[in-house]
Amino acid sequence: MTDLFGVLNIGTSALLFQQRAINVTGNNIANVNTPGYSRQRLNIETGLPVDTGSGLIGTGVRSAGIERVYDRFLGVQLNEENANLGRWEAQQSMLERAEAVFDESEGYGLNQALSNFWDSWQDLTLNPSGQTERSVAAATSQTLADTIRQRYAELEQAQENIDASVEGAVDDINRLTAEIADLNQKIASTERTGVNANDYRDSRDQALKELSGIIAVNSYEDAEGQVAVSVGSGKPLVESGTTWQLSVQTNADGHTDIVWPNLNGGMVNITGEITAGKVGGWLQARDTKIEGYQNDLDALAQALMDEVNTLHAAGYGLDGTTGTDLFTGTGAVDMTLNPDILNDPNLIAASTALGGIPGNADNAIAINALRTRLTMNGATTTFDDAANTLVSRIGYDVQAAKASASNQADMMTYLENYRESVSGVSLDEEMVNLVKFQAAYDAAAKMISMADEMLDSLMSIVG
Amino acid sequence: MRITQAMMSNTFVSNLRRQTEAMLQRQEQIATQKRINRPSDDPAGMGRVLAGRSTLAAIAQYSDNIKQGVTRLEFSEETLSLVDDLVRQARGVAEGKNADGVTAEERALAAEQVKEIYDQVLQLANSKLGGRYIFSGNQTDTEAFTRDADYNATYNGDDGSFRIPIAENVEVTVDADGRNYFQDGADGGVNIFDELRDLITGLEDTDLAAGSAQIRATIDALEDAHVQIMNKRSEGGPKLYRLQATEAHWTNVKNVVQDAIGREDEVDVAQAIIELQNLQTAYESTMAAASQILRTSLVNFLK
Repeated sequence: MTDLFGVLNIGTSALLFQQRAINVTGNNIANVNTPGYSRQRLNIETGLPVDTGSGLIGTGVRSAGIERVYDRFLGVQLNEENANLGRWEAQQSMLERAEAVFDESEGYGLNQALSNFWDSWQDLTLNPSGQTERSVAAATSQTLADTIRQRYAELEQAQENIDASVEGAVDDINRLTAEIADLNQKIASTERTGVNANDYRDSRDQALKELSGIIAVNSYEDAEGQVAVSVGSGKPLVESGTTWQLSVQTNADGHTDIVWPNLNGGMVNITGEITAGKVGGWLQARDTKIEGYQNDLDALAQALMDEVNTLHAAGYGLDGTTGTDLFTGTGAVDMTLNPDILNDPNLIAASTALGGIPGNADNAIAINALRTRLTMNGATTTFDDAANTLVSRIGYDVQAAKASASNQADMMTYLENYRESVSGVSLDEEMVNLVKFQAAYDAAAKMISMADEMLDSLMSIVG
Repeated sequence: MRITQAMMSNTFVSNLRRQTEAMLQRQEQIATQKRINRPSDDPAGMGRVLAGRSTLAAIAQYSDNIKQGVTRLEFSEETLSLVDDLVRQARGVAEGKNADGVTAEERALAAEQVKEIYDQVLQLANSKLGGRYIFSGNQTDTEAFTRDADYNATYNGDDGSFRIPIAENVEVTVDADGRNYFQDGADGGVNIFDELRDLITGLEDTDLAAGSAQIRATIDALEDAHVQIMNKRSEGGPKLYRLQATEAHWTNVKNVVQDAIGREDEVDVAQAIIELQNLQTAYESTMAAASQILRTSLVNFLK
């Protein structure tokens, strides 16, 4: 084996190996911008040496498989942080819509509507029989009721937008779990033959990361290289090649919930178990944050209607009528100005005296005094404060979501950079490799041509 | 650390995004002249701005009330001063025509003059401000006083008063009960209409001696009426002062609150522009650096 043919064999193995290495390098360069691609490396080892009596002599080079360069623990962390990023980004975008509903910066909001309402009752105090003052009081009451009702409806609209988004996300989840199950099968069958399924694994990592961004999942890889994915409190989504397809259901509030099919074909509601990922962020925005704003607004509307109506019904209109409510409805959802008052502002009960005493404004004064009365939150805040606090609360929530999303984005950038540092393709490095392999290829070719010449010399002696 | 092209371009992209975001925020602040453009820009500040706006709205309303109150008091003062003149004229008649020597013709002429005075006082007692009677209590759409053919006056109003809210739970009340001005109201006093009526009937009495006695009897009463009107007029002075002092107070508070809102809400334009310029410089340097570094690759140097 140490003859000239041995030299030719070594040359051939070197040529083949360098060619394959250039192939792998080329593939790395081609995928320099492919998301989730891990650079691949052709492992190299020496050919089995032979004993020639004068010691062991090598028989060239051979490849020991192609492997991807990656940090196996990084994947889990990336998925987790991506789920948190999805959660905060989703919450930020949805809460910003709620914030836009309560845009008070220009001064045409709830605050203004309340101020106008109180002012109109004070105007009425000075001229309780004035038709202008009465019409204005009716108009500001109507505006206040409309403002509260519209804000409530717009929050409802924001929740419905989330419902639609959740529905779309469930389709994405099902698509990704199916993809992961499919890749599981491919990876298992490829690796059973002893070959690394590098590209399939990259694709599966990428799918898992995308899935984590949508919904927080747990995943682990079994001995066969297949990942099991579960959601919430350990409800499986993917096991080997099997998937559990999620679906949506409308809950009692008319909103979209996510359900998971159990073995008996029953549907288990997992909405409350989803804490992170885009869907988690949406659900928290919908069921905790926006729902909370609605409750606050509703509490404001109900207390306002209670207090104002109690006083108003006890007073007397200009025509002597009594027992009229100023507002009708049950809460923020349907608060309106009593249509009778809209038609006839003389029904506004500015007076406390029996009959219709035009100059008696005691009731208007009493209603106006509600402006500074501590009526809300267990008699600790005024209506104005409660409304302002709601606006501030939304502001705080958006600010917090923004800050968390920004921190999370920084965290992801750090992790992505770390991943890139390990697995990313560096063109400079690949170019160096290319030069290196090319030079080795040239040298191997030279060696073959030299061996050929030597054989020629030998043949000419024989010939 | 191993650095790849993707890391560099990702870092550039995220830096450029951060910088454009910060520039956009400054631009918005400069364009709107406001530091807080949505609640999340500064939730606590927004809360203070809103509370300040509520206060401003309340102050504006109180100032409005005070203006109306001042008008009411000044109008009332003007009316009462005219009434006072008329009452003094009537007393002059009573003083001048009570001698037994004054002839029936002279008395008849004087009686006509007093009737004129009576109706003028009645007209003033039925004064309206903004379409509402000011001396008929809360019955603001009812004529305060009416008289019959024998000059007997009837009060048609009630004991209501005009209430002017000037601050939280603070109000100035103006007596609107006409009886307290023109009749023997709740705290006694002179019934001006009755005295004028007595003066008229005294002047018209054909028994000149009895008539003279009746005329004389009204002199002191009309003097008391003058004092009564003066007392009511002097009630208005301190109230007017209180209203004006409160108005001055609100003007000061308004400035303070506006300043406070301004401090929360208004952007320091000079500072925002400087910040914007700094950001722009950083942005341009980032781009310059990016265009230099991203272009560089080993590929360019391999032949």
